[in-house]
Amino acid sequence: MKVKLWGTRGSIPSPGPETIRYGGNTSCVGVTLSDGSLLALDAGSGIRSLGLALGSEPARLHILLTHLHLDHILGLAFFAPAFRPQTEIVIWGPASPEASLRDRIARYISAPLSPVEVRELPCDVSFRHCPETEWEIGPARIRAASVAHRGPTLGYRIDDGDSSLTYIPDHEPALGADLDRLEEDWISGFALARDTSLLIHDGQYTDAEYPEHVGWGHSALSHSLAFARRTGAERTVLFHHDPLHSDDFLDGFAAEAQERWVALGGNPAALELGAERAEYELPARAAKAAAAA
Amino acid sequence: MTQRPLELILARNLMSALSTPAFLVDEGGILVFYNEAAGMMLGKRFEELGTVGAAEWGQLFGPFGEDGEPIPYDDLPLVAAVRNGRPAHAEYVIHSSDGASHEVEVSAFPILTAHGSQGGIAIFWPTQMNGAGEGAA
Repeated sequence: MKVKLWGTRGSIPSPGPETIRYGGNTSCVGVTLSDGSLLALDAGSGIRSLGLALGSEPARLHILLTHLHLDHILGLAFFAPAFRPQTEIVIWGPASPEASLRDRIARYISAPLSPVEVRELPCDVSFRHCPETEWEIGPARIRAASVAHRGPTLGYRIDDGDSSLTYIPDHEPALGADLDRLEEDWISGFALARDTSLLIHDGQYTDAEYPEHVGWGHSALSHSLAFARRTGAERTVLFHHDPLHSDDFLDGFAAEAQERWVALGGNPAALELGAERAEYELPARAAKAAAAA
Repeated sequence: MTQRPLELILARNLMSALSTPAFLVDEGGILVFYNEAAGMMLGKRFEELGTVGAAEWGQLFGPFGEDGEPIPYDDLPLVAAVRNGRPAHAEYVIHSSDGASHEVEVSAFPILTAHGSQGGIAIFWPTQMNGAGEGAA
């Protein structure tokens, strides 16, 4: 399984010289499965670059949306493969009692916000509510579960062979809870992230910023670190950077995160801040064993 | 490990911050949490008791009707709320671990989600306390 970050920013695209290293595009992660199948996790502005990088391929891909806040669907109307009739796109997302996934997305891809309507997209696009139970895409087993954020929001776990990726970009697991003391089964998102190979997790706020943002649906650094430690993730990427955090600020944030992670007993190589275009290859167990030997 | 539904997790987090006694059951009617205020009323913290089923709960705390007879499990507001998917209300007496009896009004409501019922919440409103615990701080 190969993973590439196409958008690491939260809330709103934040381009400019001060965000050039960690990136200004909003949430999107490309995942290439072991059989070559392609998934896109969220469709923030980063999916535009993913679409351009694909050229005329692939003929079929799946987009897994965590939720429908604008920073996670913003790029849909600018995703080049959606404008090719030979492309088949399956969009997965959370169910809502209010309206279907298609109707909720159509509020964005419709006038006056968009020059095109969903029905006008040349590609073959379908919309599916994520099932409660695990399902398969190509060689991967996909699990979705509701996580603590504002509105219906999912986290995902993708298991492909012996490797797994957990993606929870918008998450406030410590809202009203002490993550260090809570039982595992009472921690939002825990089962998705337990012992995962790579955890991509909300890292929006510093601990000093969090008190002004309680209930906004995001984590403070201490929450992200506690969640990563409790779940036993092999490697953690902090994601969904606050749009006010410049590269220089995030360098300092990364240093603090490293220091505190090591103080918690963590491997310094197992924690980093997500940077746009960063790539990760998740090896199968046999490859891991060989590397360890 | 079975992950608790998010709605139960958020309900527990909210209840933890309340000063009103509150109880949480899962979709099977198992008591999975009560808050500190409830623990003070019962004389036993949830961490001491842990998850319990209806039978054990009844032996420990009741509840009892005005005639002193145990109220059948099926008649409890929380059970009715979870089973019927509707709010329920009742008045009854519970016994705390120190022998005191508490008259309470109970309002219960189900936790309904897109995936069906995930459990229920009961809020206890103490109306009177008698017996061993009377006058205790």
